[in-house]
Amino acid sequence: MDFANTPSFFRSGPKPGTRLLLCALASIALLVGDSRYGLMEQARDGMSLVLYPLQRAVNLPLGMVRHVSDYFTVQADLKSENDQLRTRQLEMSARLARLETLERELNELRSLNAIKASRNDAAQLAETLYTGRDPFSYKIIIDKGADAHLQPGQPVVDGHGLLGQITRVQPLTAEVSLIIDKNQMVPVMIARTGERAILYGYGGGVEIRYLPLHADVRENDMVVTSGIDGLYQEGTPVARVSKVERNAGAAFSRITTEPLAGVQQTRFVLVLQEKGQTPPRPAEPVVPVKKTKGKKPADSE
Amino acid sequence: MSFDRPKELLKPVKRRFIFMTLLLAVLVEMIPLPHGSTRWLPDFISLVLLYWLINQPRRVNVGVAFLMGLVADIATAGMLGQHALAYSATAYLALSRQRQLVMFNLGQQALAVLGLMLCNQSIMVVARMLNGSAFVGWSYFLPPLIGALLWPLLTKLLLLPYRHHSV
Repeated sequence: MDFANTPSFFRSGPKPGTRLLLCALASIALLVGDSRYGLMEQARDGMSLVLYPLQRAVNLPLGMVRHVSDYFTVQADLKSENDQLRTRQLEMSARLARLETLERELNELRSLNAIKASRNDAAQLAETLYTGRDPFSYKIIIDKGADAHLQPGQPVVDGHGLLGQITRVQPLTAEVSLIIDKNQMVPVMIARTGERAILYGYGGGVEIRYLPLHADVRENDMVVTSGIDGLYQEGTPVARVSKVERNAGAAFSRITTEPLAGVQQTRFVLVLQEKGQTPPRPAEPVVPVKKTKGKKPADSE
Repeated sequence: MSFDRPKELLKPVKRRFIFMTLLLAVLVEMIPLPHGSTRWLPDFISLVLLYWLINQPRRVNVGVAFLMGLVADIATAGMLGQHALAYSATAYLALSRQRQLVMFNLGQQALAVLGLMLCNQSIMVVARMLNGSAFVGWSYFLPPLIGALLWPLLTKLLLLPYRHHSV
């Protein structure tokens, strides 16, 4: 209780209970505003800009250690790696030559049929700054953002396959939701049969749900993007089927898959362009779909 | 016993030092660590915060805890307000028993800190699950245990600059 003649030593502003009430109310308001309505994006942008130098500073010694260890690589390692890369490059250039012919043919056919060539292959290389520490969500932060004209929704890949999708762009950084994140869904198809399905992340892994029992899926089948959502290019490898369980009692078969991309350990990632130019859906009233939530229109199928 | 709190007069704590230690905790939180280490690494921000709440309750109060929670939310790319809510509730609990806590020896304090940090994690789990996340497993409650084990070390470290006879 504060009296006019209370010595200043005892005066300490509002009681802890009052403060708690205020702070709890404020944080609940923030929680609801952020998760349900996405109101706090601006504030988050600002704060992340303030924290960016700190992140850089923390990353600096680590980067230096990496640099030093890169410098002292054994020559034999370098040589073998070089040989490997050279062979790979040879293979790739042969494949590329074939692809280029095919692409030219495809474009000719497309122009004959008056279809716009829709592929846009521009890609940007980015480096992983850090992985989010939040154990509930699987996200990585990359070192490019609005400054490199990234946009929410762009797919992100590494050397092996699809990694995820940009879900939040900040001035200098961007957040990538990995495909194993709980809210991520990717429209895919089984490469061998062309059977379409949706790959769901469940937080820590991916699985294919809602495929009927008689669907032709085997172990070690490759799962690639189907490209029907107008977001991911078709044919990007995503996962490999590791186990198929067919339980006669269940309506769907249980298909466990493993992501191909190093979803937790990649250092460099490639940000691709959205596929774009999907003709608008006929009929149906247009409801704006939020890309920032990681939901794609395909999940309504 | 060396684990007892030093019964000696300490130099007054500077506001700058409190700020520096909190900043350092945020920095530690942002170090890019290999995946998997986050399963057992304690939440350093809340540890340092609890230390100052117990030892300097007039400088660090519920409001500071709330602000640090906001910073932690941004730094961990989590949901905004999740850490803030947990930290302010824990800060209130710590402050309401602060006069007892400060008299405890380090072992007893570590136990109290364990309880407070478990409370922290529980609030965050509840907040996330209300928002539709899946339960992440009981390993989520491992970091508080390690944090409590680190408590005596942290106390000794943070006391170092304020000893009159720093040997």
